[in-house]
Amino acid sequence: MKKAVTVFLVTLLAMTMIVAKGQQESATDLSAPVTIVVWTHDDPNRSVLEKELIAEFTKQNPNVTVDYQTYPSGKMAELLTVAFSAGEGPDVFNQSQSVIRQFVVEGQVSALDPAWLGYRSLSDITSRYIEGSLEAVSLDGDIYGMPLEYTNLCCYLNKRLFREAGLDPEKDYPKTWEEMMDISSKLVKYDGEIIVSRGFDFRYATYYLMEMLPMVEQLGGKLVSDDGKTAVIGDEAWLKFFNYMKEWGPNGRNLGGPTYVSVSKVFDLNDGQVAMSESGLYQESRMRSANPSFYESDDWMVIPYPQWKDSDLRVPCHVSCHYYMVNGNVSMAKQIWGWRLVNFMLSHSEEYLKRVNLVQPTHELFESETFKNMPYSDVFKTDLEHATLTYYSANSSAILEKMKQAVEAVMLQNQDPESVLKNFRRQVQSILDEE
Amino acid sequence: MKKHNSFSIEGQKARWGWFFVAPAILFFCLFSLYPMLNALWNTFFNVKLLSLKKPEFVGLKNYAYVLSSPDFWSSVKATVIFTLSSFIPLTVFSLVFGLIITTRKKGHQLLQMLIYSPAVLSSVVAALIWLLLFDPRGIANSLVNFLMRTPGIDHKWLTEPAKLYMATAMIYFWKYIGYFTIIVATGVAKIPTSVLEAATIDGASVRQTIGRIIMPLLRPTTMMVSIVAMLNCMKSFSTQYLFTQRGAPNAPLNVLTLNIYKTAMRDRYISRACVMSFILFFFMMILTIVRMKTSESKE
Repeated sequence: MKKAVTVFLVTLLAMTMIVAKGQQESATDLSAPVTIVVWTHDDPNRSVLEKELIAEFTKQNPNVTVDYQTYPSGKMAELLTVAFSAGEGPDVFNQSQSVIRQFVVEGQVSALDPAWLGYRSLSDITSRYIEGSLEAVSLDGDIYGMPLEYTNLCCYLNKRLFREAGLDPEKDYPKTWEEMMDISSKLVKYDGEIIVSRGFDFRYATYYLMEMLPMVEQLGGKLVSDDGKTAVIGDEAWLKFFNYMKEWGPNGRNLGGPTYVSVSKVFDLNDGQVAMSESGLYQESRMRSANPSFYESDDWMVIPYPQWKDSDLRVPCHVSCHYYMVNGNVSMAKQIWGWRLVNFMLSHSEEYLKRVNLVQPTHELFESETFKNMPYSDVFKTDLEHATLTYYSANSSAILEKMKQAVEAVMLQNQDPESVLKNFRRQVQSILDEE
Repeated sequence: MKKHNSFSIEGQKARWGWFFVAPAILFFCLFSLYPMLNALWNTFFNVKLLSLKKPEFVGLKNYAYVLSSPDFWSSVKATVIFTLSSFIPLTVFSLVFGLIITTRKKGHQLLQMLIYSPAVLSSVVAALIWLLLFDPRGIANSLVNFLMRTPGIDHKWLTEPAKLYMATAMIYFWKYIGYFTIIVATGVAKIPTSVLEAATIDGASVRQTIGRIIMPLLRPTTMMVSIVAMLNCMKSFSTQYLFTQRGAPNAPLNVLTLNIYKTAMRDRYISRACVMSFILFFFMMILTIVRMKTSESKE
């Protein structure tokens, strides 16, 4: 009897909650005029597509107007932090997993109610996406964002420069980090000790956790322990990585460094400045715009992210995922329309891929002919199958900065890797202790 | 008596005086004094950007944290080095250039324009120009290698700490020397010509005129220039920020203002950033008082 009463009460409670949620939506006047302010980072090609999609959305929903604003990508995190802190955040915005996690944890963004998009349950939405791609926007069973772009880096290679250096790009391309250093040494050109043409170089800037942490993880090292409490695990792996970077820099074999022009900016020019550059699938679209003849030629190819020679752990480059999110502090009507707008735009994933080369992590897209027909999409996909999201936490930006400083210390300031490691561990541990 | 005074000419002048300065006082209170007091208040709470939780009172914990942080002391070191390496040359050369401009009859306008023109550029543009020059393949390496006959040497302007100190100080000097030179030149122009003429009639040499007449009369201007230059150097931000964005190592460039910015905007610990701002403010005030007292004692 007791059991039956309990079951009855639980069912009643659940039904009450469902009805209450339904009433919340019905109580919101969705026919009233509403303006949705969207903030997104600069990407001229994507802006054109999204403006078209917005025009289509507002045509279907005449009471909705959208104020679409773009900002430099490097400034977005700062602008959003200030705007949200002042209670003036946009209704819809996008950012990468390392930035948005703090918005999720601090309760600044709207949890998606599947009913707003006409779905019965959240799983109807989450099942569209590949495993792990929604981790950074998930909290306590709710979803706080939808993926706009899911990017892993592979290595673009200039075949002409390989051939000019007496190398066969199809056979001699670097498979290991050791080979990467040796082949770069063959490709690099100097004026005295000043580099005029690089073989390969890293992206540096904000890519330390994305492109360099996997190098440590391939050797068994970790940035943070599985329970999230201990910083910098596996001294041997970290020291091997730091020694490699020291060797790479101006005080070692002088193959590149963060003070040189970013390789991804110059690779497309095909002017001999760099033979290999890490980038995402989106780079193909940029190459097509910047240098169509190079894009159409057979002078470039894409190779997988290298592994260490003795590494048994398959860890490709981490994935950076940008999510669209909705402000949780605005009116319910704005939240609902915000989510509907996001869902509408992102339901055109093939358009994003065709026109801007942005990959959304949906099963449907990965199985589409559009994706399969993109040059070297199989290379990116194979790496993606083993890839995980770049480290994210409420303080990942601070940790990224500490890793950047540690790499700079060994590479540019010629500091001893052991003391750098000790200092790096202390700094990251201090950040973790405060979380 | 008081009532009578308020209708006097002085009283009326004072009322008009208050009337005219009221907007400036209001502006100052609203946009400077209130934020400063608010920042001071925040130092005693654990305010974190983005957090929706009510900040808790933590007393002096933020001060204890900042003062025991190695990162803070490395910023103090970077600030001291940058300030000393920038403000001393700025003060000395602004005097030299100011005197040259006011004493030269030919070409002084051209010289004035050449010295002052960088001041009209924004700090960001100035830093970007110099970043191109200091690029390993830039003009700085080519010029030094040409002069020293050392072809192909990379002088590592953007990577070696000593070179970085020199590079940032050089940019700051180039950018602000014109501004301070104009202040000095104005100070020299204010010296009554009768005094200089009297010195000439009495047979004073150029060196004597400068050392015994112009320099003592310029003391208030020199003091003002040195204080403003020192305070500006301590507040320098954009050059260091852009250098670190371009790949230069953080440690030598992590001046207090950059640390404050990162603590507030990246780490979101606004209370700790306020603590550092107040410590910087305190240092600046002390140094200004010391400089003023030193100058007064000489007089």
